[in-house]
Amino acid sequence: MASQSNGASDWPGRYYHIDQVLNTPGPRTDPEFLAGDGVKDFLRNKAKILVIGAGGLGCEILANLALTGFKDIHVIDMDTIDISNLNRQFLFRQKDVGKPKATVAAEFIMQRVPGVKVTPYFGKIQDKDDDYYMQFNLVICGLDSVEARRWMNATLVNLVDPENPESLKPMIDGGTEGFKGQARVILPTVTSCYECSLDMLNKPTAFPICTIANTPRLPEHCIEWASVLEWPRVQGDKKMDTDDPEHIGWLYKVAAARASEFNIEGVTWSLTQGVVKNIIPAIASTNAIIAAACCNEAFKIATSSAAYLNNYFMLIGTDGVYSYTFEHEKRDDCPVCGGESLDMVISPNMTVEQLIETLVEKQDIQIKKPSLSTSTKQIYLQAPPQLEESTRPNLEKKVSELVPSGGEVTVTASTLPFSLSLSIKYS
Amino acid sequence: MANLHDSRDIETSTTAVATEAAPDSKTRRYDRQLRLWAASGQNALESSRILVISGSATSTSILKNLVLPGIGHFTILDPQKVTPEDAGNNFFLEGPSSIGKSRAEEAVRLLGELNDDVEGKADVRSLEDVLVNDREWLSEFTIVIAHNLAAGPLDQLATLLWEDLSYPPLVVVRSAGFLAEFYIQYHEHTVIESHPETAQSLQIDKPFPALLKYSTTLDFANMDVTDHSHVPYVIILVRLLDEWKKSHNGSPPSTYDEKKEFKQTIRDMRKKDDEENFEEAEAQAYRTWTTTSVPSEIRELFKDPQVLSLTPTSPPFFHLVHALKRFTEEHASHTLPLTSTLPDMKANTESYIHLQKLYKTRAEEEKAIFKSFLQVPISDDTIDSFVKNSHALKLLRGKKWGALDADPAALAAAIDTAPKQLAIHLALSALSSFTAKHQLGSPLAPTEEALTSEAQALLPPGTELPEEFGDAVGEIVRAPTADLPNTAALLGGVVAQEVIKMITKQYIPINGSCVIDLIETWTGIL
Repeated sequence: MASQSNGASDWPGRYYHIDQVLNTPGPRTDPEFLAGDGVKDFLRNKAKILVIGAGGLGCEILANLALTGFKDIHVIDMDTIDISNLNRQFLFRQKDVGKPKATVAAEFIMQRVPGVKVTPYFGKIQDKDDDYYMQFNLVICGLDSVEARRWMNATLVNLVDPENPESLKPMIDGGTEGFKGQARVILPTVTSCYECSLDMLNKPTAFPICTIANTPRLPEHCIEWASVLEWPRVQGDKKMDTDDPEHIGWLYKVAAARASEFNIEGVTWSLTQGVVKNIIPAIASTNAIIAAACCNEAFKIATSSAAYLNNYFMLIGTDGVYSYTFEHEKRDDCPVCGGESLDMVISPNMTVEQLIETLVEKQDIQIKKPSLSTSTKQIYLQAPPQLEESTRPNLEKKVSELVPSGGEVTVTASTLPFSLSLSIKYS
Repeated sequence: MANLHDSRDIETSTTAVATEAAPDSKTRRYDRQLRLWAASGQNALESSRILVISGSATSTSILKNLVLPGIGHFTILDPQKVTPEDAGNNFFLEGPSSIGKSRAEEAVRLLGELNDDVEGKADVRSLEDVLVNDREWLSEFTIVIAHNLAAGPLDQLATLLWEDLSYPPLVVVRSAGFLAEFYIQYHEHTVIESHPETAQSLQIDKPFPALLKYSTTLDFANMDVTDHSHVPYVIILVRLLDEWKKSHNGSPPSTYDEKKEFKQTIRDMRKKDDEENFEEAEAQAYRTWTTTSVPSEIRELFKDPQVLSLTPTSPPFFHLVHALKRFTEEHASHTLPLTSTLPDMKANTESYIHLQKLYKTRAEEEKAIFKSFLQVPISDDTIDSFVKNSHALKLLRGKKWGALDADPAALAAAIDTAPKQLAIHLALSALSSFTAKHQLGSPLAPTEEALTSEAQALLPPGTELPEEFGDAVGEIVRAPTADLPNTAALLGGVVAQEVIKMITKQYIPINGSCVIDLIETWTGIL
């Protein structure tokens, strides 16, 4: 009854397609699925879903959710629309360039799909507190940043209160790069979380500073020289804006001059922009696939109309359509959901500074600017400035002078809402 | 500014300082995709004309992902008016206000808003009408995409497009509820720019004369320590391999012990412990005992009938392969032309650039030899690209849509090799046969029994359906006419992606049927 009577915007036949899978269970549907009006009422009148990101994936996610019958959708995005978004972010037009993505996307969806309420927030996910995240049944992430995903993941894991089943918010995460992408379902504390799989990320290309400064060989080395060394030297405190064509133009000229000096070919405007902005190729089709996979999982979880993904779907579209669906295993020593501390064997001669470098680079840790402490003392703190200054002398000390073998070191970083505990042993 | 099309000598081109202006608005708009398929791919897209049959949610989802990257033209062929059901699941209709209007016209109008540079056209004729009165019209398109067409007209369309080579490839898309499948009907598809993940061999085991001479005459002994630690590993390996061969009857290291010994000669050559170029040489030592040869897939290409019976009118691809075959037979290295692309390695600028020049010069010479084997004129750009990708060329031969269902033995074989994929394919084929017999006007309500007997009829007598068929057919019975938004969106992405690969002739499209299960969330090829 409920689904028939709600909202003046519903017209007879509107949910003809969707209702076929909501009126009847399928062979692989959970026996607890209550086909019919109850599930429709939950989907259309009660479910509240949060979408993180209103970009390439976000635009697709919002449209899919609206069409499948979610009516109370919230979206967070801190970006404004750029012309290079228009080849895939299909809710935006030329006239929208410069406006906030979240707001424009929300308005478009509400205008196109009657009766759907999309509440935009133009800002950062970190602006919101636990109470805010607690109000949603599900969270879908369509982000291009590892940091933001780690933050969201840790926040949702921390939110889980074993006494309160409502506090477990399934997180569905999508990501794309060119013709490749992945979609996964994370049930915080129950399944493997985003942090558990950090070592699956590709290592970002980093060029050693001595190559850039002394022995450039590739056009990329010349571009890095222009942006990392020449910009601060020549422009002083002026902040580099990689979206400003004049800044890119300057970097391009400087890089091309250096390349010409060293007989290196291949510095172009496009490469310059690609290197300094760390541009990842992105197309509408891959985003459509991954966003659809994410929304399909959200729909199945919200309605129980079919089993959901357990728990990782990976797609490679360069050679045919290749995909791999598998269960990513939870890590007992995951700093976010594992509970156990991470064993780390280091040389007794390793200094605190070297340990910090290791933490930044280690594939399963990757913490930028970590602060270290033990239960009794501060080893090195990145902030505030007074504490940084007072702990700075420790950087040169050996870790073994400060921490006994088997001792615990707590690692924190301002970008991450969790701490990592290391159990230090000496080789 | 010198004319960009002139082949400038290295000196001029490398001393040219930044002259490129900031990119125009079109380049900025397409920046993120140009990094995948470059201007050549974009030009191919912009010259393409796509026909999509029916304005269903799946059809408009596919088109959305083709209009955004900038195809030249699309037509939606659909005589239907928008129903309330259509207005509920299709993003390219405006809810209740579209009801009763032409589905093709509404969809074309709303898809058109995505990209001003794309021309869209609504055609309200039926496919049946076109097949009878205007078949020629179909040859105007680069590719035809058909979603959930009735079996009869679909077979007629597939036969027409298959039997006359002047007609375009056909993409057949079928879906019901959480299950879907699509197939690309083409005779032949060739790819030069397959964008392989592996690089071409540096041919360290078969060093070209200038590289050998440079490597063996370089005065390592009298080099200062800094220079010594900046000699590219390629040169170290070529030199040590040459020395090794002299004392081993001309053979490279082959046994485990010999390989270990060879690595020791690398370590012995160091002037100090931490020379990174020597560490690299050790890590890359396998290149000395890995024989560079023509990859087996390329060797297979050489035996293709189109290559063996080459005529002046053969497509350029086969002329190029024929010339490649001759190159590998007649050129001293007996392998593919040398690559001009050197990966980055520990070295100082001077020695790296010098090595790069050696490779480039030699690559140019080998390209000239390759070119001399060509029997028809082919553009330099194409030759460059062909030589660069000669280790990763691709030739796909396809079959007519329906060939699998017409071949009971092949279906029976798939029961063992791909039961999950086959189960979904058979369930969708059964639905299609069932629908063809269904009387218009009454609701379509297939039973499991009816669909099972349709599927069974395709298999050889006495063959059991795959175990997974029960799950697949159950889903079809549950939602026989559901064009679910998420399924439509996913098909929209994956079909558009394959169409882009077909049009640009870059990357490798599917060969066969791609089956999709959105319950367990997997895709597979049948």
